[in-house]
Amino acid sequence: MRRIAYLAGAAVVTMVAMSGSASVAQTTAPVKLGLSAALTGPFNEFGEGIRRGAEVAIEEWNAAGGVLGRKIELAEVLDDQLVPDRAVQNVRRILDNPDIVAMVAPGPSGPTLAVVGMVVADGRPMCNSQAQTPTIVHPDGPDKPPYPNVFSVAMSVPAEAERLGRALTASFNNVGLITESTSYGKLGADLIKKSVLEHKPAATVTAETYNQRAQDMTAQLVRLQRAGAEVIVFVGLGADAAVLRKTMTRLDIALPLYGSSGLVTVPFMEGVGDLAVGVRATNATTFGQKPFSPRTQAFLDRYRNKYGTDRWYGADPENPLISMAPLVTGAYDCVNLLLDGIKRAGSTEPKAVVAAIDKTKDLPGLLVPSISFTPQNHAAFSPNDLAIYEMKKRGDKLALEVISK
Amino acid sequence: MTFFVTLVLTGISVGSVYALIATGLNLTFWTTRTLNFGQGSIMMLCSLGFAFLVMNRISLPLAVCLCLLVSGVIGVVVERLTVRPALKRVGSMGWVVSTLGLGILIQGLAAKLFGSQAVAFPEILFSVKDNIRIGGIALSLQYVVVIVITLVIMAALELFLRRTRWGHAVRAVSEDAELARVQGIPVDLIVVSSFVASSLLAGLAGLLAAQIGGTVDSSFGFDLVLLGFVAAVLGGMGSSAGALSGGIGLGIITKLVGGYISTAAEHGIAFALLMLILALLPNGFLGRAEVRRA
Repeated sequence: MRRIAYLAGAAVVTMVAMSGSASVAQTTAPVKLGLSAALTGPFNEFGEGIRRGAEVAIEEWNAAGGVLGRKIELAEVLDDQLVPDRAVQNVRRILDNPDIVAMVAPGPSGPTLAVVGMVVADGRPMCNSQAQTPTIVHPDGPDKPPYPNVFSVAMSVPAEAERLGRALTASFNNVGLITESTSYGKLGADLIKKSVLEHKPAATVTAETYNQRAQDMTAQLVRLQRAGAEVIVFVGLGADAAVLRKTMTRLDIALPLYGSSGLVTVPFMEGVGDLAVGVRATNATTFGQKPFSPRTQAFLDRYRNKYGTDRWYGADPENPLISMAPLVTGAYDCVNLLLDGIKRAGSTEPKAVVAAIDKTKDLPGLLVPSISFTPQNHAAFSPNDLAIYEMKKRGDKLALEVISK
Repeated sequence: MTFFVTLVLTGISVGSVYALIATGLNLTFWTTRTLNFGQGSIMMLCSLGFAFLVMNRISLPLAVCLCLLVSGVIGVVVERLTVRPALKRVGSMGWVVSTLGLGILIQGLAAKLFGSQAVAFPEILFSVKDNIRIGGIALSLQYVVVIVITLVIMAALELFLRRTRWGHAVRAVSEDAELARVQGIPVDLIVVSSFVASSLLAGLAGLLAAQIGGTVDSSFGFDLVLLGFVAAVLGGMGSSAGALSGGIGLGIITKLVGGYISTAAEHGIAFALLMLILALLPNGFLGRAEVRRA
């Protein structure tokens, strides 16, 4: 009898000890984040930018002791090449991993729209750093409730359209739009047209579309020329913008060229060289305002230490590329937002984290200088976070300079 | 009038590239009744390789020669690895998958080797700013050079086929390979040469098309081959003059549809028109019906 009591006592002690060690393991295990993005393929400037931005943020948090006393780990980093089907497979794998507590959304709109339903059904928080379509967070319109667990710091199409509308109507009465034939391009065209007509009801707006990777845009340009356009406005990717600029030069069309942030990316500048001079585009104010804030400078120093002056940073250590803001710092802000939510929730439990992020107020960021959310608004970026830049020649280098804040 | 002429001139220039690709497809069709669906990857590899060579300070003429040389070698590989094995079995369509598969493999290797980002393509003969004015219309010399090179190559090819012994041998193989072999014509050599020439044309078309676009990446070329194939069918499969008329016809139709009807429906309406043309002319503009031996 004494022997049985002894064994039972030993078993209880062992179980208590084991549950204790499990609990310790639980509380000391890293906080794991996941992401799917275009790490390879023709659009890897988006996905690799996300990865680098997220890694810099995680390094900063870990250097400061982590979150809830635990280290942070980017545990699932999967490549979707910007293909929505692959993004769906990747996000399924991420969500099937119970250790992942939050995730950064895939890059541009196509893959993000493809996965958002799964993420909403799962309930863990996701932050969007690049996708510009507003329905990613507000599926029924900006005045209707957002998805409860999806938050965005990305530059949005409505913000860019509003900023462009303001700038265009200050100088022009007849606007010619050339947009890519995707949902992103169509939304951009609709919103820019709306914004122009709101600011100047008597203005004329003519819209043309092109298919991504088009080799020539003569038909679009001569149609806009015939419609009397005083300015060409482009919404699309940088490589396609290079085709547009070259076609304008071949046809000797000397109209001003404005565009969304895609216009002033590296593929555009490399593709057209000096023809880029004079082009104007919206982009985040992040790296356009000098001197940089201490926070921005700290990020740049850490980034340079980790990756050097890479394709995203640009060759000039003193002047990082303006396009680095939407490509890289959005993911940096996202990771900070998610970890700040976990910290304030005091837990990694999804509902508690989402509730904490819902109450985010004036969290300092880079792409969005001050990030705030409410249960009714999950899109932090506003038109005031954008500036109009002009491409200028500085010595033998091309550089963007703010011409209108 | 300026509007119309601008569209037509651009259509001729863009169509010239389609014509070159169509001619490349015709060359292998003549000798083996097969098409190299991996042509797009050869266009990509030649233009992307050229951009990287020039970036690394190799002179333009040497870079062109090296890229065309690689294209020609790939032509041999295509014939040996993807077409010849398939043709050993009568009626096999394995070459469709094999040529396409090799193209995708080349694309993957190029992405690994050169990266997958779009890179700037150097200007070869003229700058984008070089143009001439005809009746007040700006005509880019880059477009003109595409048209001229295409016309010269087509004329040279026609002369070769009609005026040289080797040209007659190619035509003999095209008519009946077995009979040509019996008569002592080196059929295997002519077949492999047709793949080399086809690949050279693809490489050249890649260089010309990339110059118009201004950037090139590892996905470049696939859409163009589709349009080149359409041009070949429209002009009449197997006909040189047909490839030229099909390519230029396709270029003009798409630009006019884009200019006068809708740029959004440019390809949709243009292809609907092509379906109508092919319904009326099943062998294309200049093709002739295939006669099957019993």
